[in-house]
Amino acid sequence: MDKVPLPETPQRDLADPKTPPSLARQGLLTAELVALAQGGVSVILASCCADGKPIAGIGVGARIDTAGTIRVFLTRQANLRLLEALEAGRAIAVTFSRARDHVSFQVKANGATILLASPDDTPEIARQSAVFRDELIGINLPRHVAEGFTTYDPNDLLAIEFTPDRAYVQTPGPGAGSPLSP
Amino acid sequence: MSGIRIENLRRSLEGVVASVLATADGDGMPNVSMISQVHYVDPDHVALSYQFFNKTRRNLLLTRTACVLISDPATLASHRLELEFVETQTSGPLFESMKAKLAGIASHHGMEGVFRLLGADIFVIRSIEEVPFLALLPPPPEPPLLPAVRQCVAELDTCSDLDALLDLALECLERHFGIGHSMILMVDARERRLYTVASRGYVKSGVGFEAAFGEGVIGVAAMENTPIRIGHMTSDYRYGAALVDTAQRAGLLSTRPVEIAFPGLPSPGSQIALPIAVGKSVSGILFAEDENVMRFGYDDEDALAVLAGYLGAMIELLREDEEELSDEPGPAGKRTGKSITARLHQADQSIFLNHSYLIKGVAGAILWKLLREYTSTGRTEFSNRELRLDPGLRLPAHSENLEARLILLRKRLEERQSGLGIEKIARGRFRLVVEGPVTLEEFDGSGSSGTPVANI
Repeated sequence: MDKVPLPETPQRDLADPKTPPSLARQGLLTAELVALAQGGVSVILASCCADGKPIAGIGVGARIDTAGTIRVFLTRQANLRLLEALEAGRAIAVTFSRARDHVSFQVKANGATILLASPDDTPEIARQSAVFRDELIGINLPRHVAEGFTTYDPNDLLAIEFTPDRAYVQTPGPGAGSPLSP
Repeated sequence: MSGIRIENLRRSLEGVVASVLATADGDGMPNVSMISQVHYVDPDHVALSYQFFNKTRRNLLLTRTACVLISDPATLASHRLELEFVETQTSGPLFESMKAKLAGIASHHGMEGVFRLLGADIFVIRSIEEVPFLALLPPPPEPPLLPAVRQCVAELDTCSDLDALLDLALECLERHFGIGHSMILMVDARERRLYTVASRGYVKSGVGFEAAFGEGVIGVAAMENTPIRIGHMTSDYRYGAALVDTAQRAGLLSTRPVEIAFPGLPSPGSQIALPIAVGKSVSGILFAEDENVMRFGYDDEDALAVLAGYLGAMIELLREDEEELSDEPGPAGKRTGKSITARLHQADQSIFLNHSYLIKGVAGAILWKLLREYTSTGRTEFSNRELRLDPGLRLPAHSENLEARLILLRKRLEERQSGLGIEKIARGRFRLVVEGPVTLEEFDGSGSSGTPVANI
């Protein structure tokens, strides 16, 4: 695997070196970030319980609309306590991380709405999961493990919807945590 | 706490699958990131690697709680750990063990130079919760390791001398653990170095190869008296020319030192080094490696650590006192008539036989003493005790393992086939075998040519 070059700026860190940076934005996020988030990546979540303790969760995909509202899909069974915290109106953090080069960013919001995944989400979730599976195989995870990781119960899917009010570089390294300026 | 034990989840902590770490600040704003390393410490604690001062770090110092999601790479069984921050360690055995493992993980992910361990953050495990996930069928069970340990111990118990013990230990690793590449190094306490006395599975034996304390997996394991295990090899822990070159550039070495090359695999996937120790005193290192990545897991480390500890106890037991020597003269060594020129360089007590490097240090000094004695008196039989008491050899009283030095010397002489040898004749006694006329020369390092000191 190629070495990951150290980014000079947060924006450079997340930019795709092969294409010039786009000025188009969907809310807080650039088109590159939206493409990354919807491109078959690892989606991880966190909220905070009533006692102030953090709670980690895991998602299966995401969609971002033109206004920058994010819908993260996750299975209910694997995230019960996280869903309880969000239902109680607590804050949310989501990190999107690309397996092949660890390029990542994190978004945060003060709250999120829990919805059922809609029928038109289904093919997009399936597409992202298939891409993610191939990415995992591409980094030498055994095929059956990659398939297991990207398999979910479609009848257990929920969507968490929120509009992020802040975004950060999350690629491992000294630049992680730098805010992405709108 | 639930009935789930972290010891049973250690496969999830090997770093094959990245874990998820969630923290929160004082206002309840969460932070979530992928982490490469959750390290098993004991049944109640894990450690996370502290690599950068970032939001996660600030949150941990402030609220002292974390939630970690781990997944088993074989079954995908996932668990959520609720953790409470205890302290950060920036040195010591746990830190070094995590640092080595992290270097391997970083190398595997193309992140060498980015992942550097600043500290080992220790957490107490408050709860473990199973995360319902579409788990895979578990893989077929691996052969259990405890019967293998027991079998090895039973076989090692039959040994009556150190030489046989060391060779049998490595043979046992191959027969009972399927480990084909291994070596044992003993500690030179005065020089804080280790020297190889036994090896198995290599093209060249490498007997006599030395590693300094703190250098590579072997040196770090010895320095910290802790197992060091790397599942993906990294240049940070390799032995080779690079270290010598660096030292030469830094002016630490004026010339390239004479040395025996590391005999290990050219491209190891996994390496493990375990202290052979009794209590706090490390007498050696048991080292094993494999071409495959992730060959040694937590359970292998446990099993091999027990074996290495047992080896330590056996080595202590087998420290040899001399037996009364019978009056019967032993069989004379065969005289091939091969003439031998032995040269001593006093600076590092290195000995060259017929212009080729043989050995240095204490083992070199021992051989020189034997040859001096032989050339001046004709004596060929010696006792370990007289060597131990010889002030010229400057052997430390307790930490020095003279028998290991003699094994090293015997094996080097055997490999060289230069007309000199050492044979054991009784417990704590041995014979110098000389096949032809010997000339001794000493160099004092002043640049003058060698001074012949004896010719017999």
